[in-house]
Amino acid sequence: MIEVRELTKRYGDRYAVDGISFSVKRGEILGFLGQNGAGKTTTMKILTCFMSATSGTASVAGFDVFENPLEVKKRIGFLPETPPVYPELLVSEYLSFVAELRGIPSADRAKKIDAAVERCYLGDVRHRLIGNLSKGYRQRVGIAQALIHDPEVLILDEPTVGLDPKQVSEARGLIKNLRTEHTVIYSTHILSEVAATCDRIIIVDKGKIVAQEAIGSLGMTGGSTKTEIVVQKSSDGLTKALQGISGVTNVQSFTNGSNRLVVESDARDELMAELSRTVVNQGAGLIRMSPVQLALEEYYLGLISGRRSEV
Amino acid sequence: MRGAIAIAKKELRTYFYSPVAYVIIGIFLLVMGIIFAKFVSIYHQANTMQRFGQAQGITLDKLASYLYQNMAFILCFVTPFLTMRLFAEEKRQNTLELLFTAPIRSAELVIGKFLAAYGLMVLMMAVSFIYVLFMILWGNPEPTIIMSTYLGLFLALSCYISLGALISAISSSQAIAAVWTFIVLLLLWLLQSIGQGLTTKWGFIEWGPTLVYLSPLGHFSSFIEGLLNLKDFVYFITFTGFTLFLTHRVVESNRWR
Repeated sequence: MIEVRELTKRYGDRYAVDGISFSVKRGEILGFLGQNGAGKTTTMKILTCFMSATSGTASVAGFDVFENPLEVKKRIGFLPETPPVYPELLVSEYLSFVAELRGIPSADRAKKIDAAVERCYLGDVRHRLIGNLSKGYRQRVGIAQALIHDPEVLILDEPTVGLDPKQVSEARGLIKNLRTEHTVIYSTHILSEVAATCDRIIIVDKGKIVAQEAIGSLGMTGGSTKTEIVVQKSSDGLTKALQGISGVTNVQSFTNGSNRLVVESDARDELMAELSRTVVNQGAGLIRMSPVQLALEEYYLGLISGRRSEV
Repeated sequence: MRGAIAIAKKELRTYFYSPVAYVIIGIFLLVMGIIFAKFVSIYHQANTMQRFGQAQGITLDKLASYLYQNMAFILCFVTPFLTMRLFAEEKRQNTLELLFTAPIRSAELVIGKFLAAYGLMVLMMAVSFIYVLFMILWGNPEPTIIMSTYLGLFLALSCYISLGALISAISSSQAIAAVWTFIVLLLLWLLQSIGQGLTTKWGFIEWGPTLVYLSPLGHFSSFIEGLLNLKDFVYFITFTGFTLFLTHRVVESNRWR
């Protein structure tokens, strides 16, 4: 659906986007992750034909963004970082303007506006001035604007910024619902959000892609796992015994508050059984044992800081 | 063209949602009203004196030409306030992203904006037909002159508006756009008086006539006298066309930044 090849955008001698390549399949939700200024917005602006690239190519639904911008724009719905709304218009007037701009025939317009209002839960504010709406509602008007013409591709730049927690979860639900009919690219710097909604993530840093993988496989790289064990009383004997098990690579013991041990080992089920047997045999009093998922956050920071130290 | 119409409709609607349009139109009509009243009293006085053989009468057409010359000048003050928001405001509100990512051409955007401002000003000018009505009821104006005068006014307006649109596209704020539009319009008017006394030559270019030609004043004056010259049409149409073309380039250049 979306093909990006060696896309580069340069401002003077600073690279905002530096040779990014990726592709997105139909119906996929792609999370675009990165710090502020990593190049997320620039990439999105190029994909939506708002901006030109310095070099490289990008195409949407088979149309090149540089050669065929009108065709690309017809197929894209875009929510920029700041919702592009006119404060002096009513929500209904604004949506009707967008519908007209999008070339929706006047016979279908009312129906499409109703659908967008319903999908973005804008029913209560339909006849209110956009200028009087809260940030969250404006954001939703922005999303409604992006999907009013049922685009094949939706590009959302930080759609949940400024929303309250309830609205954030509503927005996520909304985005997940879009999956069936739309391809979604969506940028954020909030990690839990990506985990909650996306099929796949791309992490960018300083204009380059540093990681690109499916959500399920994140944090499982390397085949090692961490297990957290909480016991009644911890002792050096226990630590030694755990270290003695083959496959265990590291044991850390924390005694502040509760007696907690973190065991780093190969990811094998038999090893888990062996760990619990050892704890019980040592008479430490096993309270709890749980696998520590290498959190997305840790993974992400690892990537970024790794790159920082390389530089 | 569909995009241009959508833009123009939205823009016209926005004009009437803010007080700016009402205030500006109100002030324009007030000032024109005062001038017209003065004009009526001068006309009346001159004709009374003529009746007693004390002075030469003034023809209605002569006075009408002063009235409309004044109107064309006052429009220089009015236009900047109506064109300042066209592009500057879109930039401030970040709505340019909406317009640029919609399936319309930049040319449609420029034409839509131009048409909206033009439509509003035509509406404003329509109110001034009331003076024509008065003249017809209580006098005997030459209809062809009135018609050519209005034609000249509408052509001059298209220059003013296209210039305002260009400056609004360049500026980052409405206030800056208004001030610059006003300054440039005023300078264009003054070119006439600057050029008239000038006899300097630079190569084969004679500065005097060139500056006079560049000013809209002279071209407009011939319309007021009821003269329809091709060169005046050419001036107004190329001025508007070229300025709108530049506006299009400026708008388009936003993509390359």
